[in-house]
Amino acid sequence: MPTQIRTVARRLTRHRSTHFTPEGILFLLFTLAVGVAAINTGNNLFYLLLAMMLSLIVISGIVAGYCLYQLEFHRHLPDLLFAHEPVTAALVVKNRKSKWPAYSLRFFDVSDGKDLDRGLAIGHLPPCTSRLLSYPLVSPRRGRLRLDGVRVATSFPFGLFLKTAYYPLNAAALVCPAIKPLPDGILQDLLAAGQERAVYRRGYGSDLYNLRLYHAGDDSRAIHWVTTARTSKLIVRETEAEDQRRAAIHLSLLAPDSHETAFEDAVTFTASLLYHLAIRGYQLKLTAGSFHSSFGQGDRHLLDLLCALALCERCAPDAQSPPHAAPLADPQDGDTGALIVVRPWRGAAISVAHDAACLIDAETFIGASHAC
Amino acid sequence: MLVDQAFRRASILLASVSFIAVVLGTSLPEWLAVLTGSALILSLLRTSDSNAIRRIAAHARLSTTTSNLLVLLGFFVFWVDSLWISREFLSAGIRFLLILMVIKLGNLQVTRDYLYLNVISLGAMLAAASLTADLWYLPIFVTYLLTGVWALLLFQVAKHSESIGASVIGAQLQPETAESFNRVTSRFFWLANGLAAATFGLTFVIFFAMPRVGTGFYQKGYGESIRTSGFSNTVNLGSIGPIKRDQSIVMRVELPDQTAHGVGRLYLRGIAFDRYDGRSWENQLSHRRVMTETSPGMFSLNWSQAKGVPHLGSFLRQKILLEPLDTPVLFAAPFAETIGGRLPSVLADLTGTLYLPFPGSTRLEYSVVSRSNPVLPVDLQSQPIMYTAPFLRHFVQLPAQSDRIAALAQGVVQNKRNTYEQAVAIQDYLSRNYRYSLDVPLAEQANPIEEFLFNRKTGYCEHYATAMVIMLRTLGIPARLITGFLATEWNEYGNYYVVRQRDAHAWVELHLPHSGWIMMDPTPPSEESVGQTASAWQAWERILDHARLRWNHIVVQYSEADQLALVRGLQTSGAAVRIRAWDSFSGFFDQLVAVMGKAAENLNRSALTLLAEALILVLTGLCLFLGLGLKRSWKGGLCSRNVSRDEPAGTHLYKQMIMDLASRGILKPVAMGPLEFLSLIQKEWNNISPLVTVITELYCRERFGQRPLTLEEYRSGQSTLHQLLALELSGPTRKTCAPEKETGAGNGI
Repeated sequence: MPTQIRTVARRLTRHRSTHFTPEGILFLLFTLAVGVAAINTGNNLFYLLLAMMLSLIVISGIVAGYCLYQLEFHRHLPDLLFAHEPVTAALVVKNRKSKWPAYSLRFFDVSDGKDLDRGLAIGHLPPCTSRLLSYPLVSPRRGRLRLDGVRVATSFPFGLFLKTAYYPLNAAALVCPAIKPLPDGILQDLLAAGQERAVYRRGYGSDLYNLRLYHAGDDSRAIHWVTTARTSKLIVRETEAEDQRRAAIHLSLLAPDSHETAFEDAVTFTASLLYHLAIRGYQLKLTAGSFHSSFGQGDRHLLDLLCALALCERCAPDAQSPPHAAPLADPQDGDTGALIVVRPWRGAAISVAHDAACLIDAETFIGASHAC
Repeated sequence: MLVDQAFRRASILLASVSFIAVVLGTSLPEWLAVLTGSALILSLLRTSDSNAIRRIAAHARLSTTTSNLLVLLGFFVFWVDSLWISREFLSAGIRFLLILMVIKLGNLQVTRDYLYLNVISLGAMLAAASLTADLWYLPIFVTYLLTGVWALLLFQVAKHSESIGASVIGAQLQPETAESFNRVTSRFFWLANGLAAATFGLTFVIFFAMPRVGTGFYQKGYGESIRTSGFSNTVNLGSIGPIKRDQSIVMRVELPDQTAHGVGRLYLRGIAFDRYDGRSWENQLSHRRVMTETSPGMFSLNWSQAKGVPHLGSFLRQKILLEPLDTPVLFAAPFAETIGGRLPSVLADLTGTLYLPFPGSTRLEYSVVSRSNPVLPVDLQSQPIMYTAPFLRHFVQLPAQSDRIAALAQGVVQNKRNTYEQAVAIQDYLSRNYRYSLDVPLAEQANPIEEFLFNRKTGYCEHYATAMVIMLRTLGIPARLITGFLATEWNEYGNYYVVRQRDAHAWVELHLPHSGWIMMDPTPPSEESVGQTASAWQAWERILDHARLRWNHIVVQYSEADQLALVRGLQTSGAAVRIRAWDSFSGFFDQLVAVMGKAAENLNRSALTLLAEALILVLTGLCLFLGLGLKRSWKGGLCSRNVSRDEPAGTHLYKQMIMDLASRGILKPVAMGPLEFLSLIQKEWNNISPLVTVITELYCRERFGQRPLTLEEYRSGQSTLHQLLALELSGPTRKTCAPEKETGAGNGI
């Protein structure tokens, strides 16, 4: 039974609370002093002043409580956010009271039990009206952003008490790692390293792969007229397949606790790398811990990879059950293209030969050289 | 008006109300009253819109260091005052409080200073509450409550705006956040007054419901007691005369069992004197004993029962509200038998005089049941009278004097068969043959009664009564002098007697063997009598006095007994409560209607016409005020937003600037944008261009940058605008910038 009472009390106090403002504490002290004087002297005019001060307190509580009563909230968050990048979030507040307005409201996002002040306030919200409040939302870290609810506070009408009410309003969004410019030259080096190990084959593309004699069924648009004129034989032009430009990126999740920052930097670097390679038309593949994607191209694929990076977690080297690492090279993929390994901690073992992969250690994230 | 400015004004008004309360409650030194009043006026001027007035008032501002030093000095003076000069902690404290108020008024800079001022004003209201219990405290209290609610509300709104501004520095402020409640609008007006009304109603509910612990009897009354004379154990002849010109009210007497038509002159017996030495009276039977408390708060004085006298006289119940007097005597109609009220104890001497243990320092309310002694038929027969020697020693005692008075008495009572007829004959003789006047210097005479009876034949109640007592005693009839009050002023609005100092009176009690002490009054009726036609002013005075009495009954004397009665009343069935409430409600209106009717009867025709006209004017004004307010709130709340009243601060400043420039001949065309206009100003009127630039930048930032002005920015803008107003144009004046005559104040902004 006491447990139930405690639970009920906790539930009640969780949703409503009242705090004194500094002015309220002063006012309360004066009220107590006047009360003592009234009891001591029996002077009814002191009682009158005491009644006035008590009624101010009571009115303050009632009006403030009523201001916070019957409010309705709706929140609009973007589906995808990037860390440290402001997006516009919106909160719709509706006063469901039919007659009474609400005054001097301040709103706080509640996440993990903490109140986050976004500077949202409304001076006057008439009855049966709603108001849209938009604000810049910046997430400081990648991962899942969870907002549990909205805390609304008012010190109306006399500024003696700060009364707050909590409205549960779950909202979640995925925060991808921040996309940053890569250190100077690193992208060119990585691309050049990939070129050396690339095996060319014909296909659709724009670069020249080979010239050969015309066969029946060849596309007449592929005839190379200059060579045909020079050799007096019908020569067609073969192009190098563009899907040949591939990059497989492996992010090592192994890092001790002391390398937390380095790990986050590695994730950010990997995301930035994926982004920059994607805009250059590369087919990309990402392996990070148990996550293993196939090669793909386009915005959808990039977003999938970024979402995977948003949720990946560091694994300490001494962990009881380290995440199952996917193979760096899948035989089904055929040609892997450039293989880039991002390693936040030098102690992490790499299962491929160092000469086959471009290894990027923590020093690279801050602009130092890397080993290919 | 901006919220911040309104808050400052409301705080100063709050201080003014509390200052008025202190001034009305006590006698302050004139220099302090003038100093505080001047400081309040200067502070109000500082919040004025007029730049010139504000600049003048700003000269009287104190620096923080100076004000701190002055507070220390004031604290030192307070201790010197309370320990050596006035030697009264409370009065010295009140003076210190006002000094603090003056210092704080001279150093009002930030919001916290105004909060301190509000705290000081609350202290002043408390001080005033300890100084008085008069009716004027009610309007002062109501005004204080109203102003206080305004000040608190404005403080909250100003603080809300400030806190938002502080929390979103660098971020874009929501436009709604800034525009809402920045100014005192009609919506704000009704909101504040509605909250004040709710607070007022709840205040009275809490006041009546709050349990009373203290009795209230031992509270220290700061106001001085009313000085009276004639109510000590020794009284010089002629001592009542001086107070007969004093209009101060000493008590009010209600007769619950009497209707307004059945009232006449009411004698309120004070003290009885038995020994006269030719110049002064003395009460030698002043040994007091504590009256028996028959039930809590009820004391009984059963003289008649103790002596086996049968109950024949009629009973008279009185409810008396006695002002603090410098005598412990309790007044009541003769002859009191029971007395009740919030009294610690009641004492009585052998003459039936009632006393408190000590003079009361506050108003005292008590009820008395008295029984008059009728003259029994047996005393109308001529029978020899036998008294004991001690009785005769007290009540037939005569001073050393000539035989002229005895001869006169014998002459007056010849042919009268019994004691009572003889007494009546003397009473009639004195009242018919002597003239009433307060302007007689008989006290200076060696034998004032002989001078009164044989030479001047003019005097007042003391002389009449003393002469009758002496004449009766020369005939061997036991008699004594009684001092008290003769109530003649009937307040028809509240159905009670108003007893003033001027009603102090002296009369005679003579003893008849079977009837006991019989009251007689040889003094002819004075010019003031019941039923005399009252002037309009007197009628208003009585209405006001009635209100004072109600205030005293309902608020000042409200006690735990009243509370208990209220609770018991509520405990009865709901139907009974409803009926009682309805009765009270209808009774109140009946009483109101009756009061109005009586007031109308008492006013003469011209006064009535004047009153009616004034009433119509007041009602018309009230209707107009309410109508305008409702119209504004209707427009503001349901129709479109009133742009002129709710316009952003930057636009307001810019409009004022444009209008000022237009009045100087610099007209802004409608089609010209603010930056174009600014560049034109910079070309043509170089001396004003920096000021115009500041205001234009503020305007553009707010209007197009969606960033409302902070309070400091608005103040800075206002200051710039005032500088602009004060500046003379150095460029070409009366220049129109474009062919259009319209300025941008209306539609170009």
